[in-house]
Amino acid sequence: MKPLIELRNITKEYRGVPAIKDVSLSIYPGETLSLLGENGAGKSTLTKMMAGAVVPSAGSLLIDGKPMRFETPNEALRHGFAMVFQETSLVPSLTVAQNLYLGREPFFNRLRGLYISAQQFLQTLNFNVEPTKLVSQLGAAERQMVEIARALQHKARLIIFDEPTATLTPEEKHHFFGLVERLKKQGVAIVFISHALEEALAISDRITVLRDGEHVLTAPAAELTQDAVIKAMVGRDLSGELYSGIGAHRTPRPAGRKVLSIQNLSMGSMVKNTAFSLYEGQVTGMFGLVGSGRTETAKVIAGVVKRDFLHGGEVFLDGKPVRYRTPRPAVGDGIMYVTEDRKLEGFFETLSISENIFAGKLASAEPVPKVITYREVATVAEHWRKSLNVRAISGDARVIELSGGNQQKVVIAKSLVQKPRVIIFDEPTRGVDVGAIAEIHQLINQLADDGLVVWVISSNLPEILSLSDRILVTRQGRVVEEFRPDQATEEKIMYAAVH
Amino acid sequence: MRNNNVFSRLARGQLLSLTQEKIVFLLAVLLFAVFSFSLTGFASVDNLLGLLYNVSVLGVLGLAMALVVIGRGIDLSLIATMAISVAWSLTLIRDGVSIEAALLYGMLMALGIGIINGWLIAYAEIPALFCTLAMGTLVYGFGRIALIPVDVVYMPADPGWFGALGQGELFGIPAPVIVFVLLSVVATLVLRYTRFGRYTYYMGDNYQAARITGVPTRPMLVMQYGVTALIGFAAGLVTAASVDSMNTRIVNSTMIYDVILVVVLGGIGLSGGKGGVRNVIVGTLLIGILLNGMTIMNIEYTVQNFIKGAILLAALIFDSLINPRDEQTAQQGDI
Repeated sequence: MKPLIELRNITKEYRGVPAIKDVSLSIYPGETLSLLGENGAGKSTLTKMMAGAVVPSAGSLLIDGKPMRFETPNEALRHGFAMVFQETSLVPSLTVAQNLYLGREPFFNRLRGLYISAQQFLQTLNFNVEPTKLVSQLGAAERQMVEIARALQHKARLIIFDEPTATLTPEEKHHFFGLVERLKKQGVAIVFISHALEEALAISDRITVLRDGEHVLTAPAAELTQDAVIKAMVGRDLSGELYSGIGAHRTPRPAGRKVLSIQNLSMGSMVKNTAFSLYEGQVTGMFGLVGSGRTETAKVIAGVVKRDFLHGGEVFLDGKPVRYRTPRPAVGDGIMYVTEDRKLEGFFETLSISENIFAGKLASAEPVPKVITYREVATVAEHWRKSLNVRAISGDARVIELSGGNQQKVVIAKSLVQKPRVIIFDEPTRGVDVGAIAEIHQLINQLADDGLVVWVISSNLPEILSLSDRILVTRQGRVVEEFRPDQATEEKIMYAAVH
Repeated sequence: MRNNNVFSRLARGQLLSLTQEKIVFLLAVLLFAVFSFSLTGFASVDNLLGLLYNVSVLGVLGLAMALVVIGRGIDLSLIATMAISVAWSLTLIRDGVSIEAALLYGMLMALGIGIINGWLIAYAEIPALFCTLAMGTLVYGFGRIALIPVDVVYMPADPGWFGALGQGELFGIPAPVIVFVLLSVVATLVLRYTRFGRYTYYMGDNYQAARITGVPTRPMLVMQYGVTALIGFAAGLVTAASVDSMNTRIVNSTMIYDVILVVVLGGIGLSGGKGGVRNVIVGTLLIGILLNGMTIMNIEYTVQNFIKGAILLAALIFDSLINPRDEQTAQQGDI
């Protein structure tokens, strides 16, 4: 059989950093292919290239054996390549019918005509959705139906689903899989991006695993087991210098006094009834896939977002209940959150390095003179710039001009200057160069040795394994497992995170 | 090799962020030189003092606006706040309240409006642009309905020290100019050397980062808008004292745009976190020279408006070129 779409040696680079490296893959009509991999493995990038949302830097795309180049999603759609996104791309304030025909309305757009043809079309699909309803009034499953109907409306030959079942109830899932079966019979090819391994193995014909932007394996689902897939997902070269199994050899630091105790914490749909404790003098690592509520949990505790008003659970600091409605009182109590997105909420980009670091001191409980002189700012900043080894010409350089690693150090210094008792690192080495990663890891260890409560959130398994004295795994908004680092392996942690 | 030519640096906002101020200053000097040679009477001491006298109120309002703009906000109700609070004070004086008490009430009213603005922006999370736009209309309407029976309220016959604020002189320098200079000095010191000033820059640069760092962002917003309204009240006092009255109809004039013109032209980016008092002074000078020159040349008022509009638009385009914004940097309350 001829492949519907064939990727040949596709590479995609973002500013010289490859997100996809030399991947080749074929997809046949009427098959289901699941694309698996850790966060950042390149699943989204790869599928977006098929859907025209991302243009490859190198390599070629063949459709029905003919080379093709999609510049926009619209172009891909015209060839029958549609993507159903995780966050639905429907317009909530329009009706179902209007969404179905979005972007392809006739010049004289009569609503009545639109509703009639939408009704007819939905009936042929056996979808039970009222075309005159507003999308904002639909449930998750119904929205997905509309998305699928929209894809089919464009005579889609390939539909890419990004985490289609994450928001569905078991019943809705059942319905969804039935639909997928029917689509397959019509010869539509389906690509799933999923974190739910069991499900992926059960419903797909073939499985493709990506790791760090590279193709690891493609095999019929029937020949694979869950363990084999997990191994393929995480099996990176552990003899690499950076993470040379520090965690495995080192004896974990003993837990000190219990400082933070979190009980039944809930926040919206992201944090559900989670409970755990944090201790002085050790690094608590937290691993979870994207959407497992790690960042949200940390942000609730640091006062960045509010927990649910009713049944929000409780947070105890030194045995006393605390509820922070803004980050300021948390900072006052010594709980600092170092963000995962430093450009968005970490540093002040137009200000100098010195000013950034000093901002931390000024906003904390630390004494600051009434009249703040340049000398004062420079002295404080210089101390921290030296001790964290921020490489820049001078403290007057603007943060935006620094490398990712140095920016991260500035953001960390901004928190350290506030004399933290509890410091939360959210993805501390994301977008950081290799040299700086080692320095930041050393710093994190040093802080734990100094007796601080250190909490590291990361999707990088080797990082979690090498840093942590205790590993917590989150799934669907709560902590589900705890490991000792000498007993944990990447496979075990990943297994806990996806189950 | 990295792109380091002028245009990519321009796009990255590195080349000109420091020099927009200088460019405007040079433009002001150039204009000054041209007018000095071509217009008789322009370079005389009297005319120059008159020029300064005319723009000092604009300069004071520019300082008020600069404060909120640096904090990534804007206050479109500034003129309404100024006109109504001062007109109310004058009405009270006319009704027999002592000058001091009347001015105190007016000041409290201005402060109250500012605090409500800040509260709505900080706690109700209404974008500053819409909040203050609505507030300006509201304040003007309320003032005219309930507080001030006439369009133009005149100064009392014997205003004492209050009158000196507009018509007095010190070593030959008109009082409004002195007020502008004094407020500039105070604003510089506050912005540079105090916690309040620094917090304002942090919030303007990155509101979310400031919040996470522990800056009390919401009380700060309330304070910023409160202080802005107070400076606006001061500008109103000077205006009333110099022209012997307060005309509430200036709320409907283009004055608020002149103030924004001064701030943006001087190089205080609307995206916040940048600039300072120097930028206000430079912007005020350029506008002052321009307006004065155009008046001497007897250019029609409508043409003057056209020229001002063109300059404001050019300044805004320039601002967005050197401080580009995208979805990432756009924030709640952003304009």
